[in-house]
Amino acid sequence: MVKKKNRVCRTVFGVLVALVLFIQLYPIFYIIISSFKSSVDFANNPPYTLPTEFFIGNYVTAFTQSHLLRYFLNSIVIAVFTLLLLVILGAPASYAIAKIHFKFDKAILAFFLMGIMIPTFVTLLPMFRMYNILGLRNTYASLIIPQVGFGLPMCIYLYTGFLEYIPNSLIESAQLDGASQFRTFLSIVFPLMKNTTMTVLTLNFINVWNEFTFANTFLTSNEMKTIPLGLMDFNGLFGLKDWGAIFAAITITMLPTLIIYFILNKQVIAGMAAGAVKG
Amino acid sequence: MKKKVTPWLFVGPALIAYLLIVIIPIISSFYYSLFDWNGIGNMKFIGLGNFVKQLHDSTFHTIIKNNLVYAGINTVMQILLGILLAILLMHLTKGKNLVKTLYFTPCIVSSIAICQVFEKLLSKEPMGVINAVLGGLGLESMQRAFTADPKLSLYVVAFVEFYKWSALYMIIFYSAFISISEDIVEAAVIDGASGLQQYLYIRIPLIRNIIFVALVMVVSGTLKGFDVSYILTSGGPGYSSELVATYMYKQLFTQMNFGYGSSLAIFLVVECVVVVSLLKAITPRDAEC
Repeated sequence: MVKKKNRVCRTVFGVLVALVLFIQLYPIFYIIISSFKSSVDFANNPPYTLPTEFFIGNYVTAFTQSHLLRYFLNSIVIAVFTLLLLVILGAPASYAIAKIHFKFDKAILAFFLMGIMIPTFVTLLPMFRMYNILGLRNTYASLIIPQVGFGLPMCIYLYTGFLEYIPNSLIESAQLDGASQFRTFLSIVFPLMKNTTMTVLTLNFINVWNEFTFANTFLTSNEMKTIPLGLMDFNGLFGLKDWGAIFAAITITMLPTLIIYFILNKQVIAGMAAGAVKG
Repeated sequence: MKKKVTPWLFVGPALIAYLLIVIIPIISSFYYSLFDWNGIGNMKFIGLGNFVKQLHDSTFHTIIKNNLVYAGINTVMQILLGILLAILLMHLTKGKNLVKTLYFTPCIVSSIAICQVFEKLLSKEPMGVINAVLGGLGLESMQRAFTADPKLSLYVVAFVEFYKWSALYMIIFYSAFISISEDIVEAAVIDGASGLQQYLYIRIPLIRNIIFVALVMVVSGTLKGFDVSYILTSGGPGYSSELVATYMYKQLFTQMNFGYGSSLAIFLVVECVVVVSLLKAITPRDAEC
């Protein structure tokens, strides 16, 4: 009797999990299958059907009607510099805050962490004006600068959280052996933090790759667009959209994040959930 | 002497970057908010005039209501469904990691992509999947252009936001559940607690700190919500799905009301800081996480 109840339970449970997964993944599945539909397919068949033929014309359109490759390059350059700067600035700062005792260390940490709460929108107009004066609009710098600034609080939060688990005795013994703070940081502490560095990198890569607001505000030239902005290239006249090309472009641009995500899913998930579950 | 300088060499560069990029623009936004100014003509000092204008701007009041509804829907759905889904994941015996990984996918896809696909799924002309399914179920009366219906647009936007982030909350609660010491739960099982009771009386109360942290995350995230409303409905039709951040953005960059727009940006900062501080104040003190 108990076994039978168990089996029913298990089936209901399995169906529930499958249903939830289906709802969650359907939109992404829909993007991918629709990228292979021809315009005839879109017009004549119900929207939920599979493509009647394997049509790659949308991919051709995606590459020829927009500067997709150029957008890839732009997004990659911006991501690489943002990530590098975040680690170069954030890791040493966290080390000093967590492991070198000095006046105001606690206050500085609190000051940085406050930044997690601040909406990025508040800086848009001042930056817009500053960029106009300095001629920085439509440059890579215009997107790297704000994303480094707003990425630092979370980066410092993650690093200082990890540093609490590194025993002070380790650092003290290195210094007894005559290592300077810089040596200690570079040769001992930084290598120990490599998992946190991975988390910082993956989390920020996804944020930077998908960033919309700064790009939409500071970039107007076609040459400089990042991938998210480029996805709006296919909105034709009178609001007519070339849906096949849009879905093809989305599929191509999702790929890097999906690949990185499926390889590093533990770090990505840990990084994104870090706000709540520390350590 | 050298000892005193060293930490500043480590912290200095990050601190300077943070001050220049985050703090100074906040101060200049506040400065701009004290002026009546369209970016071209003279800046006319009006003191707190823009903030007084907020008190009388009935559109802005509608938008605050929208934003509260938006934040409310997301809070309830993310927390409740997040806990339910985490429980589901807890009891999955096979393929736990695969389900977790797949389920999390929408969190790593850009909002532009998510909004584009929902625009297509929800459209009526041409018939999108949702309307086609409603038709197939004989529910033609429920078919409509979801994003163009002023009665529904706000809920649609709230739903898409919920959809994009739901896995994040599931993971947060799941990680919290598995960090509970099994001894405590086992003791309850021996005392005869049923599955439901284990959660209601033991597991959920034990993770209440994390629930509060998640609450802070959803509320602060949705109070400054922007992407989905701006991209999917651009706040419309009318102001039916407009949020504070999208209204602010349009005041700044469409209407060129630099003064008023800046005052709305300051409103957003104060709102977020006040609400988050309030939530933190009511968070149970024990075992701060």
